[in-house]
Amino acid sequence: MKVIALIAALMTGALLIYGTEEMPDWGDPNSPASSHVSPKYIQEATEKTATPNIVTAVLADYRSYDTMGEVVVVFTAGIGCILMLRKKRKGEGD
Amino acid sequence: MLEYIISKYNFWIYVILMMIGLYAMMGKRNFVKKLIGMNIFQSAIILFFVSTGVKAGATVPILSGHGHGHGHELIEVAKYINPLPHVLMLTAIVVSIATTGVALAVLILIYRRYNTLEEDEILKIRKDTGV
Repeated sequence: MKVIALIAALMTGALLIYGTEEMPDWGDPNSPASSHVSPKYIQEATEKTATPNIVTAVLADYRSYDTMGEVVVVFTAGIGCILMLRKKRKGEGD
Repeated sequence: MLEYIISKYNFWIYVILMMIGLYAMMGKRNFVKKLIGMNIFQSAIILFFVSTGVKAGATVPILSGHGHGHGHELIEVAKYINPLPHVLMLTAIVVSIATTGVALAVLILIYRRYNTLEEDEILKIRKDTGV
């Protein structure tokens, strides 16, 4: 079983390392990730949101519904932990 | 050759981290070790995404002196690293913390019922008692 797991992990890693050949170079300012959407944010975020930190502007302004969903995720996780770990009252099944 | 290695070695490091996490999730028998493997896997993904935002010679995406009323001077995009991977990975970190917490709570429940966290021992107990 462990041998199968090792072979599967190594094969996945080999495929991914083969795939990195097509990836942009490290620190390339013209990489696809940095050349399509993000220049607009860098140029306009401060002007539109009055927030100097662009990460904060995107997190709490452009994507504020996403951040609210994050809060729901954390809330659900907390409720789940409480329900699983609370002390059971007498008469309740385990 | 050396230039090629320098331009790609960050991806190789993340692939190796991901392989460690994947092997720990599939090959280990202890549930805590599986969970640690999942965390290593998530860290590899997060590091990979953050590294795609790097621009050589650029600084953190905090603009000072560009706010309201400071005119419309053009902001040089190449001077600031890409902020979007950082934002998305903040979300991913929150989700990974939530999953880790819930998984640890489930592990506590498993330990209370079976007094062990070894996968094969739990399967043996379940087989013997027919539960």
